[in-house]
Amino acid sequence: MPPEGSNHDSLANIQAGKVRRILFLAFGGLLALMVVAGLDALRSLRQLDGMERQVNQRYSAHNQALTTILISVHVYHDQMERYLIQGDASLSNAGAADVKNRGDEAEVAIEKFPADADAEERAMLAQIQQKILEQENSFALLVMAQAQGVPEERLQIVLEQMMLRRAYILQISRNIALWNERKLVEATESLAANFQGLQSRLAAMVGLSLLAGLLLSLIGGFYILRLEKQGRVRYQELVASRQQLEALSARLVDAQEEERRSISRELHDEVGQTLGALLVDIGQLSKLVPPEDTFLQSQISRIKSAGESAVKSIRDMALLLRPPMLDDLGLVPALEWQGREISRRGEMEVDVHSEHVSEQLADDIRVCIYRLVQEALNNAARHSGAKHAKVSIRQNADKIHVEVSDDGKGFETERVRGMGILGMEERVKRLGGTLLIHSTPATGTTIRAELPSRRVEAA
Amino acid sequence: MRKIRIVLADDHKLMRSGLRVLLEQQQDFTVIGEASDGREAVALVNSQKPDVLVMDIGMPNLNGIEAAGQITEDHPEISIVMLSMHSDESYVLRALKAGAKGYLLKDSAETDLIRAVHSVAEGKSFFSPAVSKVLLDDYVRKLKRSGSEDPYDLLTPREREVLQLIVEGKSNKDVAQLLNLSVYTVETHRSNIMEKLNLHGVPELILYAVRKGIIS
Repeated sequence: MPPEGSNHDSLANIQAGKVRRILFLAFGGLLALMVVAGLDALRSLRQLDGMERQVNQRYSAHNQALTTILISVHVYHDQMERYLIQGDASLSNAGAADVKNRGDEAEVAIEKFPADADAEERAMLAQIQQKILEQENSFALLVMAQAQGVPEERLQIVLEQMMLRRAYILQISRNIALWNERKLVEATESLAANFQGLQSRLAAMVGLSLLAGLLLSLIGGFYILRLEKQGRVRYQELVASRQQLEALSARLVDAQEEERRSISRELHDEVGQTLGALLVDIGQLSKLVPPEDTFLQSQISRIKSAGESAVKSIRDMALLLRPPMLDDLGLVPALEWQGREISRRGEMEVDVHSEHVSEQLADDIRVCIYRLVQEALNNAARHSGAKHAKVSIRQNADKIHVEVSDDGKGFETERVRGMGILGMEERVKRLGGTLLIHSTPATGTTIRAELPSRRVEAA
Repeated sequence: MRKIRIVLADDHKLMRSGLRVLLEQQQDFTVIGEASDGREAVALVNSQKPDVLVMDIGMPNLNGIEAAGQITEDHPEISIVMLSMHSDESYVLRALKAGAKGYLLKDSAETDLIRAVHSVAEGKSFFSPAVSKVLLDDYVRKLKRSGSEDPYDLLTPREREVLQLIVEGKSNKDVAQLLNLSVYTVETHRSNIMEKLNLHGVPELILYAVRKGIIS
């Protein structure tokens, strides 16, 4: 039933297409997941790297600026001490200016501190600045007092204040350095936390990809197994249907042979015999009519000859359908008859040669060989222009060998495979035999068949 | 006058009754029984012991040739006329081997049956002219094709005489008496004939004689 079959097919096609799309999407999704994870990891790594560099830069810039401040503060105070200890009046103006310059330098160094300083740093820097301003004021006070000849003891208090201030400035600087260090540690810790986050994200991605891949390969595996199973089932169905077809064609051949046999018998035994009886009666009738009655006698003889020709054509038809010798006398006499019949028709001379052929051969083997030889001889007589043909049939322990050869012009065995030859092959193969055809223009055609020599089953 | 007792065997009733009418028109024939298949024929012959059995070849259960074989084995004195649709030598030879003395085509039964029954009752062979013609034609064609000469030409006049008598149904003793020879000499002639003609057994010899037109 073709419509149902094609429906089934198109349904299967649609299903296969759907599954293919799902698989494609799943594999694509897995790949996208992996690409996204990879890109994300790369981006995060680059970001972390940038952040780390920034943190380091900040730290070293602050550190450097702080160092500069410290140095300039030290230099300022050194200069200031040297000036105060020397007490050299001649140099006093120039010396004081120099100290003032150093103080300015220290202030400049503070102002040069990186702009990204936070509020704490700014506050501490402002304190340093404040203290330096106070130092400068105190220094100016001292210079003025020295010039006016204020006694040393009274200045001592101012000096002590300045020493304290200096220590305070250094303390703040150290605080800034500590602060800076703490900032660095904090930044490094946050970087480490970021890195941790990236790691766990990556791990999750990898885990997810693995899971998806596993799922996908499981589904794919099941799908392939199912396809394989379907394929196997289809193949078995195909084999079964082929066997059915072969059995059917075998049954057809059997049925045809049986039909021929029964029609042949019917024609031969019923119609032929009735006509025979009719002829006997007509003979009787002609004896009852006086010979002088020429009209009646000629009528009777016309009826008789019509009857005779009917008998002849009935017999020919029966012989063609299934020669009774095959059943009455066996295979070899039937083949010999077939050969003589062709010789009699003047088509070509046929020799039939047989060796040790059992008369108890199973009916299907007998019929197969008979039809094979009949077909081969008819082909030779009709198409090959052969003058002679030879049929040889011999039997050994378990095989029957049949050979039909002619001296005709042959044919191309590969190209010309008419129904006749196909039919021969079919019949021989079905009985477990083999058929070989060899044909060239020089040697004519030889057909060889080998069949099992099965005997008729005991009824 | 002793009548010739006949049994008719044919599976076809119309044919049987036609033949019966034909045979019973003869004053010296009497049909003592009819059989419709080979087994019936064998049983009937065993119980009735007729002189002549007129039997169709194509019959159900046991065909005419096999029935003839069984009958000849037990009652070689009963003469059998085979009725057949086939003029081919395969049938003729089988019939002869089964012990039939006459071979009649059904088409010509009406004209030849009376003569056939008379011939076989006298111990002679009888063949339908149509059969003789087919056999002869086949033989001549075969000779022509093989290009060999007719082995009949190899026979001496005395051998031809012996051949003629044998195929007419005479025993070695009869032949010896008729030709005024010893039985031993007849046997020698006989085996020489067989060898020259490359034949095996009386049936083949008879078939050969029919082909050559030595007997009809």
